[in-house]
Amino acid sequence: MADKEMDILDDRDLGVGEDVIGDRPRRYQRRRPRQVVPEYVDWKDVDYLRQFVPERGKIMPRRISGISAKDQRRIAQAIKRARSMALLPFVAD
Amino acid sequence: MANRTYEVMYIINPDTDDDRIAKLNEAVGKLIEKEGGSIVRMDDIGRRRMAYQIQKKSEGYYVLFEIEGTGQEIAELERRMRVNDMIMRYVTVRVDEDRKAAEKRKAKREARIAKRAKFRAAPAEAPAEA
Repeated sequence: MADKEMDILDDRDLGVGEDVIGDRPRRYQRRRPRQVVPEYVDWKDVDYLRQFVPERGKIMPRRISGISAKDQRRIAQAIKRARSMALLPFVAD
Repeated sequence: MANRTYEVMYIINPDTDDDRIAKLNEAVGKLIEKEGGSIVRMDDIGRRRMAYQIQKKSEGYYVLFEIEGTGQEIAELERRMRVNDMIMRYVTVRVDEDRKAAEKRKAKREARIAKRAKFRAAPAEAPAEA
């Protein structure tokens, strides 16, 4: 399975560099997408969407979720739809 | 006009009697057909805990309809749902375009895998590619 996932990912460079934020440079590393997002993201599939919604109820940023920008938009849209029907929380405390 | 596919989900007040819920769902189905739509799928999800309170209730009765039609029946349905006080919340999502996009993505993904498999099987045939 892991092998198959790697097959469908693009070959892209794993850039390593430095970002200067404040007075200290912060190291960052671009990662490969960690998972393959299904072709159709169902807004009713709460169990799937939950992995992008941490405890607090916020949508996980792309820098953490590690998925492509396109996929992130689809996931975010689905989460917002699910929220409107109380399938997912806006804020959880 | 080309037909569209919609998903309509609504939440009924959980204090409603079961037979009234059944009657309401039946009425929704009839309305859709009367307005020229067709029901692809009807899913009576049932009582479910909501992620937050709506109208001071923490539970709701969920119903999902998948409808094919022109959009006219959706307009009428939404108008009726708005005034119905048994229905606490509803949402309509147009899914045909997203599904079509998903099909395309799937085809693309599969084509890429096939291409790679071919390349790996016979690397000597196309050495200068990519």
